[in-house]
Amino acid sequence: MNSECCNPLVPLPGKIIKIVDESPDVKTFHIAAAEGKPFTPLPGQLGMLSIPGVGEGMFSITSQGPDHLEMAIKKVGVLTDSLHDAQVGQPIAIRGPYGNGFPVEKFKGKDILFIGGGIGLAPVRSLIVHCLQNRGDFGKISILYGARSPEELVFKEDLFKNWPQAKDTTVYVTVDKGDEQWQGHVGFVPAYVEEINPSPSMVLLCGPPVMIKFTLETLSKLGFSNEQIVTTLEMRMKCGIGKCGRCNIGSKFICLDGPVFTLNELEGLPPEY
Amino acid sequence: MQGIAKQDLNKVLETLSGGGAALLVPMEIDGVTRFARWEQGAKTALGAGNTLLPPKEALFPQNEKVFNYEMSNEEAKIVPSAAAAEETIILGIRPCDVRAIQALDNVFLTKDYVDELYKTRRRHTLLIALGCTQPAPTCFCSSVGGDPLQAEGADIMLWDLGETYGLEALSDKGKDLLKKIDKFMSKSRGKKPAAGKFSLEVDSRGIAEKLHNMFEDPIWDRWYQKCLGCGICTFICPTCHCFDMQEKHTGQWDGYRYRCWDSCMFQEYSLMAGGHNPRPTKKERLRNRFLHKLCFFQERYGMLLCTGCGRCVRECPVGMDITKFIKEVSEVSLNE
Amino acid sequence: MSDPSGEMRELAKKLLENGEVDRIIGWEKGNLWYQSPPLFITRAEETDRLVFDDFAINSLVTYLLDERDSGKKTGIFVKGCDSRGLVRILQDKQIARESVYVIGLPCSGKKDPRQALSSGASESSQVPPAAKCEECLYPNPVIYDVIIGEAVEAKAKGDRFAAVKEIEAKTADEKYAYWTSQYSKCLRCLACRNVCPACNCRECAFDISKPRILAKENNLSHNMVYHLTRAFHAAGRCVECGECERVCPMGIPIMQLNKKIIKEINDLFGPYEAGVKLDETPPPLGTYQTSDPEEFM
Repeated sequence: MNSECCNPLVPLPGKIIKIVDESPDVKTFHIAAAEGKPFTPLPGQLGMLSIPGVGEGMFSITSQGPDHLEMAIKKVGVLTDSLHDAQVGQPIAIRGPYGNGFPVEKFKGKDILFIGGGIGLAPVRSLIVHCLQNRGDFGKISILYGARSPEELVFKEDLFKNWPQAKDTTVYVTVDKGDEQWQGHVGFVPAYVEEINPSPSMVLLCGPPVMIKFTLETLSKLGFSNEQIVTTLEMRMKCGIGKCGRCNIGSKFICLDGPVFTLNELEGLPPEY
Repeated sequence: MQGIAKQDLNKVLETLSGGGAALLVPMEIDGVTRFARWEQGAKTALGAGNTLLPPKEALFPQNEKVFNYEMSNEEAKIVPSAAAAEETIILGIRPCDVRAIQALDNVFLTKDYVDELYKTRRRHTLLIALGCTQPAPTCFCSSVGGDPLQAEGADIMLWDLGETYGLEALSDKGKDLLKKIDKFMSKSRGKKPAAGKFSLEVDSRGIAEKLHNMFEDPIWDRWYQKCLGCGICTFICPTCHCFDMQEKHTGQWDGYRYRCWDSCMFQEYSLMAGGHNPRPTKKERLRNRFLHKLCFFQERYGMLLCTGCGRCVRECPVGMDITKFIKEVSEVSLNE
Repeated sequence: MSDPSGEMRELAKKLLENGEVDRIIGWEKGNLWYQSPPLFITRAEETDRLVFDDFAINSLVTYLLDERDSGKKTGIFVKGCDSRGLVRILQDKQIARESVYVIGLPCSGKKDPRQALSSGASESSQVPPAAKCEECLYPNPVIYDVIIGEAVEAKAKGDRFAAVKEIEAKTADEKYAYWTSQYSKCLRCLACRNVCPACNCRECAFDISKPRILAKENNLSHNMVYHLTRAFHAAGRCVECGECERVCPMGIPIMQLNKKIIKEINDLFGPYEAGVKLDETPPPLGTYQTSDPEEFM
């Protein structure tokens, strides 16, 4: 996208039009600009959301509706604290979309395994939603999601109601540690991946670095090639347009050339993430 | 070659600044040599070699407002700032600093997004470069692909020929400007001078390719320890362009967002909101800075992000010497 | 002064070989004749790189803070001024005395690389002594495990508070004009803080972003907050090593304010020299005595 017309660092004013509690520290915010939907991102792309006067941050766009964007945001810092305190109607500012997004074409016609850990399901969800909306374009879908505890599971309605009912779709949910009510699987994501021994042709993997590290080892043990595995990276970002410098991994900028990389692409970059 | 007599310099500067243009020339202000607006009577520091502060602040100021905001319970009002579109002439910029501006052009004007604030300033800026006949002891432009006497990308080239400044227009904008000072021009007898000898020389050929495979080399352990972790090298570098964006409240509900220079040598630079820092110590930060200068930028934009101006070599209080680093890299044998 | 390099190398070699220290911090010759930057070595065969010449001006003691949690033992070379910085760090309990092996080097004054360059000199004898050495009161290390070389006599020239008195004589408007022109230049590179032995906090307030205490916008107001806060924080703790002013690329006379504070403390509480005695009673601003002046009450 070439923004010749205007300063790409200036956001559009907008509002939070809906807030969904996902877990004790994750909420999904529905964002609309004054003129409706701020922009139309591809699955996996990012948006810079701010509360002017508080700060600005880059978040993955979890999903979108005809008139709004959705971002699932974990409470970790100054801006996200303020967002979690905000009410519906809170004025915000937003700019984007940023980043390359998922290579949707590569996934077409293929069986796909989505693996998400913690808040890492947020970016993954944008592609799951896209696949389910365009169900005919994709093969079998498996979704494996893990969180630290049952109460930290996000998108519960999707995990336990919407997605399991979708055609040719299997959902696996695990938690590191259960509680009295938890009837589901208990264990870490990498072990669960090995247990279900999947055979999709593409894998999309997002989550905390340590989960990614061990899951990659498992996937490689199960015979997956680097070209079959797609993941996303995260770094501190300020401009979102590849200029301010800080989100580089080698000569690539996560905000512009990422956040989505195949494992093959990552192999050519320094391991600094 | 055409030229102007040195005794006419003040009149030339007066003419150049006459049309309302901001004329920036090297001057010494409170003990610091930098590019500052020339006004009648001001003393230039044209002959004093490279200025301590590079002219990058004319195109990319240390602080710059991006937009004003005004919050209410109902809406966020955003009013974008426009960059000052004042015609600016930078006179006396050295060839290394002109190359640095080419690097900044690559960053701010290419790769999908155009930085409006930079673009506006850049479009209204004209560069009159002064060739260097005597490199300073810390200069090494010729070692990183530069030419001390010729500034590709400048609009006009100047050379010190003793009694006169020799002149040559390199662009149409430059030709037009020379017409304004036509009456001071004479046929100068001198010809383009020869460059003096460099005391600092290093072979940087192939450095990017070599460093690409040295991310985990022990060289970084030898180099990071003496780094103070301060921002001198980044702030006085003509090519360093990393910035932060922050907000300033001017009232309870209103304020502005600005961008300001940032330094990759600072711990906060890559610190993420959740507390994770992918570059937690001076080692990772120094590595990223050197690799950005000598490898990553070359890979992304086809040029090194070091133009050999020598400022960091001169000013680093712990003697961090990038030419010594380049030499050490060239001596590393990568046998796997 | 005879060249102590030989003895330095021999001792460093011995210390590394017999495992008494894990590393040595000293100086080496740089690429350019007027540079003798810090050197870190861990292997005995590298000790031949050590030098102590006219340009071994850097204080090395703040590097000890980088390894304060590593449990490593460091052999470190100190001049008189550096040794006071080391006392500062020890008194502030940032490192343990046992974690350093201190090799003292009496010093008759060093030279500043930037001055060597700007003076156009082509050899050391043409470079004037560094500004920070002109007023040196402690040319001999005040703390050491071993000392190399003969003690040197202090030869401070004139009144160390001369520059302070000159500023004191100005009117309020003149003072304001002077200081604002200086602080306006500040780039906020933080070199003065990073090199200061009194700035040894694990987390500096100026690095905190939640909430941000010092805005990143560079302007006179924020620059003054930075400099004045730092001067006050170092009040009674500044050891007058002059490193802050030496490292400043913009030539801000940082020591003038530090000296003003030292002069005030001396006037209020009696003569006091920070960082001279390791086991002294707390410094004037670190303790309370009933005899303290209380003019503001």
